[in-house]
Amino acid sequence: MQASSGMLTKFESKSSRAKGIAFHPKRPWILVSLHSSTIQLWDYRMGTLIDRFEEHDGPVRGIDFHKTQPLFVSGGDDYKIKVWSYQTRRCLFTLNGHLDYVRTVFFHHELPWIISASDDQTIRIWNWQNRSLICTMTGHNHYVMCAQFHPKEDLVVSASLDQSVRVWDISGLRKKHSAPTSMSFEDQVARSNAQQTDMFGNTDAMVKFVLEGHDRGVNWVSFHPTAPHIVSAGDDRLVKLWRFSETKAWEVDTCRGHFQNASGCLFHPHQDLILSCGEDKTIRVWDSQKRTAVQSFKRENDRFWVIAAHPEINLFAAGHDNGVMVFKLERERPASTVHQNNLFFITKEKHVRSFDFQKNAESPTLLSLKRLGSAWVPPRTLSYNPAERSVLVTSPTDGGSYELINLPRDGSGALDATDSKRGQGNSAIFVARNRFAVLNTSTQTIDIKDLSNNTARSFKPPIGTTDIYFGGTGNLLIITPAAVHLYDIQQKKSIAELAVNGVKYVVWSNDGLHAALLSKHNVTIVTKTLEQVSTLHETIRIKSATWDDAGVLLYSTLNHIKYTLMNGDNGIVRTLDQTVYLVRVKGRNVYCLDRAAKPKVLHIDPTEYRFKLSLVKRNYEEMLHIIRTSSLVGQSIISYLQKKGYPEIALQFVQDPTTRFELAIECGNLDVAVEMARELDRPKLWSRLGTEALAHGNHQVVEMAYQKLKQFDKLSFLYLSTGDHSKLARMAKIAEHRGDFTARFQNALYLGEVEDRIQLFKEVDLYPLAYMTAKAHGLEEECQSILEVTGVTEDQLTTPKFGTASAPPKPVVPTYKANWPTKATSQSFFEKALAGQLEGMTLEEEPAAETNGFGLDDAADDGAVAKRSGALEADDDEDAAGWDLGDDIAPEADSDFVNVESAEAGGSGSSEADLWARNSPLAADHIAAGSFESAMNLLNRQVGAVNFAPLKSRFMEIYSASKTYLPASAGLPPLVNYVRRTLDETDPRKVLPLIPRDLEHLASNDLQQGYDTMKANKLEDGVRIFKGILHALLANAVSSESEVAEAKKLITSAGEYTVAMSIELARRKLGAPDTVNGNPELLKRSLELSAYFTIPKIEVPHRQLALLNAMNLASRSKNYSSALSFANRILANGGANRILESARRVKTQCERNPHDTVEIEYDQFAEFEICAASHTPIYSGTAYEECAFDGSKYHQKYKGTVCTVCEVCEVGKHGSGLKLFA
Amino acid sequence: MDPYSAEGELINIHNHFHQGQYQEVVDFDTSALSPENTLPAKVLALRARVALGQAQDVLAEVQGASEPELRAVSALAELSLGNTDAAVKTIEELASSAGDNQIVQVLGGTVLGAAGKSEEAIALLSQHSGSLDAVALITQLHLQQHRTDLALKEVAGARKWAQDSLLVNLAESWVGLRLGGEKYQQAFYVFEELAQAPSTSSIVSLVSQAVCELHLGRVEEAQSALEQAVQKQPDYAEAIANLLVLTVAVGKDPTELTNSLKKVSPGHPFLADLEEKSELFDKAATKFSPKVSA
Repeated sequence: MQASSGMLTKFESKSSRAKGIAFHPKRPWILVSLHSSTIQLWDYRMGTLIDRFEEHDGPVRGIDFHKTQPLFVSGGDDYKIKVWSYQTRRCLFTLNGHLDYVRTVFFHHELPWIISASDDQTIRIWNWQNRSLICTMTGHNHYVMCAQFHPKEDLVVSASLDQSVRVWDISGLRKKHSAPTSMSFEDQVARSNAQQTDMFGNTDAMVKFVLEGHDRGVNWVSFHPTAPHIVSAGDDRLVKLWRFSETKAWEVDTCRGHFQNASGCLFHPHQDLILSCGEDKTIRVWDSQKRTAVQSFKRENDRFWVIAAHPEINLFAAGHDNGVMVFKLERERPASTVHQNNLFFITKEKHVRSFDFQKNAESPTLLSLKRLGSAWVPPRTLSYNPAERSVLVTSPTDGGSYELINLPRDGSGALDATDSKRGQGNSAIFVARNRFAVLNTSTQTIDIKDLSNNTARSFKPPIGTTDIYFGGTGNLLIITPAAVHLYDIQQKKSIAELAVNGVKYVVWSNDGLHAALLSKHNVTIVTKTLEQVSTLHETIRIKSATWDDAGVLLYSTLNHIKYTLMNGDNGIVRTLDQTVYLVRVKGRNVYCLDRAAKPKVLHIDPTEYRFKLSLVKRNYEEMLHIIRTSSLVGQSIISYLQKKGYPEIALQFVQDPTTRFELAIECGNLDVAVEMARELDRPKLWSRLGTEALAHGNHQVVEMAYQKLKQFDKLSFLYLSTGDHSKLARMAKIAEHRGDFTARFQNALYLGEVEDRIQLFKEVDLYPLAYMTAKAHGLEEECQSILEVTGVTEDQLTTPKFGTASAPPKPVVPTYKANWPTKATSQSFFEKALAGQLEGMTLEEEPAAETNGFGLDDAADDGAVAKRSGALEADDDEDAAGWDLGDDIAPEADSDFVNVESAEAGGSGSSEADLWARNSPLAADHIAAGSFESAMNLLNRQVGAVNFAPLKSRFMEIYSASKTYLPASAGLPPLVNYVRRTLDETDPRKVLPLIPRDLEHLASNDLQQGYDTMKANKLEDGVRIFKGILHALLANAVSSESEVAEAKKLITSAGEYTVAMSIELARRKLGAPDTVNGNPELLKRSLELSAYFTIPKIEVPHRQLALLNAMNLASRSKNYSSALSFANRILANGGANRILESARRVKTQCERNPHDTVEIEYDQFAEFEICAASHTPIYSGTAYEECAFDGSKYHQKYKGTVCTVCEVCEVGKHGSGLKLFA
Repeated sequence: MDPYSAEGELINIHNHFHQGQYQEVVDFDTSALSPENTLPAKVLALRARVALGQAQDVLAEVQGASEPELRAVSALAELSLGNTDAAVKTIEELASSAGDNQIVQVLGGTVLGAAGKSEEAIALLSQHSGSLDAVALITQLHLQQHRTDLALKEVAGARKWAQDSLLVNLAESWVGLRLGGEKYQQAFYVFEELAQAPSTSSIVSLVSQAVCELHLGRVEEAQSALEQAVQKQPDYAEAIANLLVLTVAVGKDPTELTNSLKKVSPGHPFLADLEEKSELFDKAATKFSPKVSA
């Protein structure tokens, strides 16, 4: 028999021969007792060896975990039974008594008993609490290989090399030991001793049945967990199934297949299966009903010695010559798929069911798939087609098969699949409403089939393809071991490839823009074009993933639900006690399927990842909301924020003043820094604050810092540089008080106080210097008095030559009254919002504050007060916002926090229309907001618009479409609502108004109309329409950069048409043909204009019309040379035959005499453009002016006039360019 | 027990009123009502008649009545006849004498709100004790003041004690139309449900539904709903106004609709607003001129 794909190895260890295995009932641990005397404790999930216990002498064969206590028991060839604590990692005590090898040891499921089987032919029961032997069961007359308690009843089963299996009744023992007793200790001892010795009247443990049937020694025996069945395995290579009742026991059947000694056997805990292993190196699975082999697994070199089952989850372990393997028999991942609000999944009973996320309700069985595949192999995948309401199920049986089944309209019970279509394939998925793809890995082909299972096309996928997934419309994601391909089904070729190893699952985001590729230990997020966005590695296996609506991927590992953002930030959302498969996240609920294929709802706290997401997306409102509503304050978040470069946000979380100070300095939030420095009041902090404030230009804080530090000289210099005369004077006074002459001198120097200086010199007896100073400043009296005091006459002195006395310059601007323009700090919305909180403002009032922070041109966000009061009066730009300094005191930072009157509930807010104007630099948005003047200013700045009258209808049009009127309460005027073009946007900082007649509308309606007028020769209408287009585009908004380019194209084109049509209209205005022909002046002009009409860059078919017109006029006026050139141009352009025909005719006619009769200003060989005002040529090389909006050209003399094309902008006024997209 | 609650006697007439089914309110059989509910029912009927444009008759009917409720109705009637000052005066009197009367609060709030005294209206209304009418009015007044935050708070508060009542749903939808995003769709569902069920359908809910569709960018649907509304009641100003907005939004010429709106409701806020903006435009445009005039 071949190894079936059903068996999945989860863990393997390498060691010497494993003789005993025990699963921990709760933790992912397994104990392995080895032939080498070691006992190992493994974490099979992580694959790590947790501990080793080595006290036995010789092989250890028996091992068992206690169900609830942190204990385990082992029995070895040293005749000893040891009880261990895995917490203290010590052997607690040893039970001695057996006289030969101990084969197995097991705990009782509820009583404090241990049962052991030994080669001394006895089975013994021990009480591990009082560490005593309570029963010795004799009867086997060869080694007892295995003895186990019944999981519920007072029975024991044992197997021996005497070829028998015995069932023992131990109810007497239980009675004796668990009944409350008033017997004295001596009595108990006497009684137990008495019964121990009583060979025949033994009531503690009686042989109930002796099962004979094996004709060699029996190696293992175990009870069925619920039914009265026993399974045994023996050296006769047989696995026997027994049954017992109250009174008798008999052999039911034999499973034949092992071709060497069968060493272990057990019942599957949940399913009707028997597992056995043997020295023939196989593990075999049998159907316990039909007693037929279901599957087998063979190892090359290792004989199996023992097999064990996890008591709860679907895991088994087998010990062999070189270690242990932990495995499961089948994939436990339930096949499932999500469509909108429904989950479709296949239960363990192979029923298709659905689960409604909205109603939280599971449907009855929709369909039964019992007949699909073999009974023991669950379906692998499920694909759902909403259009046809059909499912596609794949199963690994028979080398892979798929089945296409229609779901019944109403799931009314277990319906067997009817009219299903099936075929061979390893993967099958729907790729369109009527197509599905089937991958056959053995032949390496992918078939695209229609719903009647006919192959529509077939192709070879990249080599080594293992799986396929939906890849977006018309595409497949093809998985190979080392890469993922995005495959275009139509073109039959791979359009993108990404090297990712071992991808197993693909999970698409709800908006279909991103997909997560899951492999065993990696999650790779890619875009729909297979560009890698991020990747992360997990040490624990990744099981499943699902996308949050906001674009956060939640994934589950064996024991955690975690999240990852697009930028790769990830973290744990919650721990899991059992593995689940995520299918959907909605708010705080995670929907998943557990291993029993039951839908479950888990509650999570999405705060952390939402917070990080809003941080990444800079959605500060959301962050603020989160901060206010949830308790997210944690060291991890703070360091995260700091690490990510958001110290100003971290600041909001920190309470500790020192940290707050550090963060405040880091993000340049001087207010907080001042506050903290005040609180801590340490010189070091003040000096750092002073440095930082100086860098900011906030000299008021600098002043405070210097004051705190008593740095008088620095203060003086600061006052000097800010021009604060009165403070300097005070500094001088202070210096006087301090008796610091140097400082006094310095201040006097700064103040320009000559007398003071002289006085000072006198005080320190520096008369010469005093004299010099006085002399230099021309203070003769002073000089005389000094001379008198010193008793020296002027003649005795030799003085140098004096220049002009220097006096310190007087400050021109009272800088000290306000700060210097401060360095723009990283003022986030965030800080403002939180600052707002201080003023009792509510979050919803923020829009005003935000715009102040994020507005167009408030780079200089100066002064704390300006910032704060700005929250209420966005346009308040008075510089009085600076600090009003008191006389002596240092500036009171606190005053900022109270000087804004609190805006309590009530009062009007700003309407959405106001927001539009703030949110957008586009004129159109300002118009919609009703802010016409700012719109005009914008247009004036952008394209030099000056004449707005023609735009009035456009302004009114935009404005009219901006609001709706919702009838609400009777009696009140209707509620005004604002029509947005950003339909999905709820962030008030991003909403923008609807602009009627957008680019697409103009291109598909107005432009076509314009073309029609050209064709129909209704040029007056045409000019009106094209100007209308220009006006509509002047105030408009587009949705992308590429659309901007399109719009520019449309503007140019409309401009050209307007010019062209105006030229022709001007020609027609010259007069009726007769009048014109009669007047040479007019005729010349007429011919010129007709020639110029061909110059603007209009569509070729239209140009042909212009050329035809010009050609005809020219040839009629016998200007054959010109006519010839027009004819040549027509022929070069090609197109309608009729025109070409006449061009050819004219050409032949003109070639005979290529001369012009009327001399006109038209050089067919020169490059020129037409002045839109005068309709005369502007030759290339000559200077010209143009309209900044439509690009029409003018002779220089027209500079400053209104453009004749758009009629709005001033010619030659260059603006910043029209903005249509922000 | 609150007579307007789900078990109360007045639930139906009250709902009719707020669904804009004024004729049903007028026709409502009030004979079986218990005595304490007769007056509220009568007030509802009178308000419905005012809404139907029969303010003159209503005024005549309540002339000289001494009950504060009926005097409040008279103020409402005065208001709808354009005598704003008189209406406000009456209400201000009532507010000081019977400010705790629920009907006075509601009608007073309406009159004050309509007269542009939103602050006073809210102050009066906020004295209410568990009146959804008051909640709805407060919500609307907050929205008029562009205080979506406060409106949202008001609705969320009411949602807690009046789970699924019509007025809370309506008020929430009003707020939703300001918030946008998903809320548009939710508001749409509320109005659509009302507008499409024959028992609750009214021109008000139909227009509201259309407004939602317009905000959702579903212009075709909005247009058909509005045209239906205009057909149903050609003189319903809100239907015309919104249809006008829609017509402009899809880039068509609205002249005809403007004219009919001028005819139906010359003082409609849309027209007044447009008038004002037109002047603003002219004024603003004069600030610019070319350097060289041609």
